[in-house]
Amino acid sequence: MSATTDDRTTRGTAGPMGGVWIVVADEAWPAALEVARASGGTVTAAVVGPQPLADAVAAAGVPVVWVEPARDTPAEAYAVNLAAQVAAASPDLLVSTGGPAARTLLGAAAAAAGASLVPGVLAVTDGPRWTVRRAVLGGEAIETLTAPAPLALILAADEAADRPAATGVAPGTVAKADTAAAEMVVAGTQPAPPASGIVDARTVVSFGRGVHAKADVALVERLAQALGAEVGCSMPVADDLGWLDRSRYVGRSGQHISPRLYLAVGISGAPQHLEGVRGAKVLAAINNDPKARIFRRADYGAVGDLYEVVPALIAALQQ
Amino acid sequence: MRVVIVYKWARDPGAAAVRADGSVDWRGAKMAAGEDDPAALAAAQRIATASGGELVGLTLGSGDASWALARGVQTACSVTDAPALADNAATAAIIAAAVRHIGDVDVVVIGDAKQDPGVAVAVAGHLRWPALVAVTSATAEDGQVLATRRTPEGTTTVRLGTPVVVGVAAEADVDRVPGMKELLAARKRPLTTLTLAQVGATVGDVESRGSELPPPRATHVFEGSPEQVAGQLVAALRAEGVL
Repeated sequence: MSATTDDRTTRGTAGPMGGVWIVVADEAWPAALEVARASGGTVTAAVVGPQPLADAVAAAGVPVVWVEPARDTPAEAYAVNLAAQVAAASPDLLVSTGGPAARTLLGAAAAAAGASLVPGVLAVTDGPRWTVRRAVLGGEAIETLTAPAPLALILAADEAADRPAATGVAPGTVAKADTAAAEMVVAGTQPAPPASGIVDARTVVSFGRGVHAKADVALVERLAQALGAEVGCSMPVADDLGWLDRSRYVGRSGQHISPRLYLAVGISGAPQHLEGVRGAKVLAAINNDPKARIFRRADYGAVGDLYEVVPALIAALQQ
Repeated sequence: MRVVIVYKWARDPGAAAVRADGSVDWRGAKMAAGEDDPAALAAAQRIATASGGELVGLTLGSGDASWALARGVQTACSVTDAPALADNAATAAIIAAAVRHIGDVDVVVIGDAKQDPGVAVAVAGHLRWPALVAVTSATAEDGQVLATRRTPEGTTTVRLGTPVVVGVAAEADVDRVPGMKELLAARKRPLTTLTLAQVGATVGDVESRGSELPPPRATHVFEGSPEQVAGQLVAALRAEGVL
């Protein structure tokens, strides 16, 4: 950072309103609060959701502007009108996590405040301009950016933080905002089929299009048996081929699981699939293509034809 | 309904390489169809067809605009001097300005890209329209948009008034490759070229100070005979304590 005088004062270190805002619509908010607090400003929260969510944020010592959604109305319906209220406070910095509703509220507020918007953010520091560190290319590089206030940030998808301890902190006030909703209503919800055993399993063996025939699923099942694992799959296996029940499909719109070991067999590693296994402790993969994307994310990889490696693996496990 | 499908508005991350010093080489990559663009186009086509409306393509940059025109879109606009930007709000402001320039638009459909998760939401912000993102499919009924989201908890359908922005996230890597006949027809379809000055957009003030490599993530890749790699993998997983 250059040695020029910090012009935070000319930027207006903000009164009770202004300063730093977090925009909250789900339980992932502690990560936004952590980044917002580290920026050095006074934090205010705009919360759209049930009262316990607003109360939890306030309990962390943050004053809350709270919108309670009407029945069957998604949080997103309040984005435009809440944005006008947030922009009226002239925020210097706006922070949200990456959930769909939270970033929709943030996008509206950023535009209303005339803010720049940077995604993939890991950290922000104060100075003559904001300095932001963010993940680019799916985390293959960390870029440093500078931007003037006002600036809006969406955190990197896997940034998470524990709820801050509320002890010794005076809770923030919760001010209920009377905010009109846009025309948006939940017309129907179909609950997902009961979760299969893969959600709580310690070990999951999952397979993709590298398995060529339905009859060969038995081979993967034998490996799962040798590992004491549940069997999962990539989306095409469940949706296009119907070889396994949809409840066993792991990925963006399928199951999100956190096993101790996730073994991907014949799965190329599309980003949509990897979103479902972000929580895995150890990720291992078998693939015949040494350049397969799965090897960039895996902890351990075995290059080879799964039809040869899987039987060898079953034998090795039984030794 | 008048539906705008926004496509090829970001560079393809797959075209970029990270050098040993952590700097990113985009190799002069132009805007490319994103991984969510095919799903967004499918949703836009369903909304336009179900409402008896029309579909207009909108793309950024000077690259080939025929991607959508070869996939059933009749007309398109391109903001040819729009650069690739780190600032999602600035990219969104360009798209929003072009949507206003197109005029009388009821629905904007755009890929809800994982790389740039702030663009779809900020397009809505700049238009002062509501938005629903992470949508997996959509159609129209009775003058409204019906958008479906699939999450691990289940499938939810949301009824949206217009105007509205719909951000579509692809569930898988799928694209229908057009045939030669469609590619040739695409060349004859009208493409309007616009500039930032014409739509009244600027590019913002976010500056890159360079990039570095993340702390190394150790991937151990075993190669050799099936017996060798199987043995090494089992030994490694035992050492990790996960077997």
